[in-house]
Amino acid sequence: MAAILFDGIVQGLQLSLLAVGITLIFGLGGVLNLAHGQFAVVGGVAAALFLQLGLNPFLAALGGIAGAGVLGVVVDRTLLLPAYRYRGEERLLLGLILTLGLSFVIDGYLNYQFPEFSLTFQLPLAMVEVGGIAMRTASLAASLIAVVIFAGLFAFLRWTLLGKCIRSIIENEVGAELCGIDPSRTRTLIVCLAAMMAGVAGVTQGLFSSLGTEMGPEFTILGLLVAVVGGVRSINGTLAAGILLGIVNAFASHYVGAYVAYIILLSAAMATILVRPAGLLARFT
Amino acid sequence: MKNYKDLAILALVLALVPALTGGSPYYMRLATLALVYMAWTVAFNLIFGHTKQLFLCLGALAGSAAYMTVVLTKQLELSPWVTVPIGMATATALGALFSYVSVLRGLGIIFLGIVTLAFSLIFHNLVLGLRQFTNGETGLVTRGLGFPLLEQPMSSYYLFLAVLLIALAVYYILMASRMGMAVRALSDDELTAELSGIDVTWYKVLAAAVGSAILGLVGALYGFYNGIVSPSVFSFVSVDIPVLIALLLGGMRTRLGPIVGAAAFALIEELVRPFGQLNVLVYGILLIVLFVAFREGLVPMLRKTLKLALP
Repeated sequence: MAAILFDGIVQGLQLSLLAVGITLIFGLGGVLNLAHGQFAVVGGVAAALFLQLGLNPFLAALGGIAGAGVLGVVVDRTLLLPAYRYRGEERLLLGLILTLGLSFVIDGYLNYQFPEFSLTFQLPLAMVEVGGIAMRTASLAASLIAVVIFAGLFAFLRWTLLGKCIRSIIENEVGAELCGIDPSRTRTLIVCLAAMMAGVAGVTQGLFSSLGTEMGPEFTILGLLVAVVGGVRSINGTLAAGILLGIVNAFASHYVGAYVAYIILLSAAMATILVRPAGLLARFT
Repeated sequence: MKNYKDLAILALVLALVPALTGGSPYYMRLATLALVYMAWTVAFNLIFGHTKQLFLCLGALAGSAAYMTVVLTKQLELSPWVTVPIGMATATALGALFSYVSVLRGLGIIFLGIVTLAFSLIFHNLVLGLRQFTNGETGLVTRGLGFPLLEQPMSSYYLFLAVLLIALAVYYILMASRMGMAVRALSDDELTAELSGIDVTWYKVLAAAVGSAILGLVGALYGFYNGIVSPSVFSFVSVDIPVLIALLLGGMRTRLGPIVGAAAFALIEELVRPFGQLNVLVYGILLIVLFVAFREGLVPMLRKTLKLALP
């Protein structure tokens, strides 16, 4: 039981890491990023390329994350420009189609260029015992990284001026602009940050098992589900929803099998959209 | 009657296509597939073009009809004359349900997109999970189950042509009726349409139901024609994306747009076939370029540049 619960939390943190990027880009840019999972894969592929160059694994991982960030900036400054010209529903639709197209471009290119690709990091110590449960060091390390990132993100949004600017744009873009905040520069920063967080999720996937080029759509879908269940504008909600869905998924796949577990997750997301379109924790943020 | 002149011309042109292929089975198959996608695009034009309901579950709707039909034919040994309408009714009910729920809950375009995308994935996982009925990833062989007509290239081409023309005729009739006016009003501004006495819910659900019925009928027949129904035949990448691209390419809210777009897409796909796996990349580039630079589509562009009175 405890092992399944722990497994669920670890998975959930990874999901939240992906989903919070989707939440941030949606909140700030008004674009639902359907290429978010592909950002994670690009981060992993970049890390693997750095590893091939003979870099130390730690530096290679950092390089991969930076690579995902660079992709984020490029996408924000080129591909999404046409979408930012519009507001509201029109921007949503344009952003949806553009990022869907981008996800196909990245998937198609990576599957073609690196057909046999897989990224795996080996840690020196495979298992440790914590409180009587044997745990994989990989899971511990990945969770630790995720927790540190989330703590940093919350601190950044709460206490720095830039963080306050970001929250004000999420609340009301026009209002923030009237107060002298430049939404487009902040947007680039956030897309970069979100892409880097996706990159972290991609690289840590290499810690657990291995990362393949075909995993992008799966990452995107899972991230999207978590973001939607958590409320696409609420960061706390996304974190909570990620952990919740991670635990549900871990128990469901243990007791009823992977297909049914996935169907349960999807139905839960559909039900959330229909019952509480603003997300589970909508009232508390 | 002059409204239906272009339908007659189109029927004539499409009926002559088999003569051009010289009877080669390969080209006949391509032409038949193009007809299938044309019919699907006509349906999507009704759902997304006219009433702005972003259904990202076209493959799942067509696939649910196909699987329902084939599984019932296999398990209960019913005649396909009975099971095809059942499959079609399944797709219609599902499409109408999504539309009704989304209007009822006031879901925006994005949330309807996510709900239907989630349904696509649920369908895919159900097919993989219910192995005893669907045979999982391998799929079900449909040869010898359905209509013998659908096992010869020439007769199946004309059967699909007939289905496409019926779908187009239904579309023309609906658009010439009260519904056409209502739909034009509500695609401009739903609130204003509602205020001027148009039953927005009813027309949106009707458009979704008719569109889903076309998707389901063609999906079920395509399952028999294809010789196999499998998850990959009705996947997101093999149905939803081509149909979306075809609609954008041809031009939304036009009569000929879906036909021209699906034909152009079939041509493009044939051209990139030699590059193998890169076709996904080409789809992506097409989506981006079409949506950024070419949002009107081919038919409105031809209207403007050549001053043609295209419908």
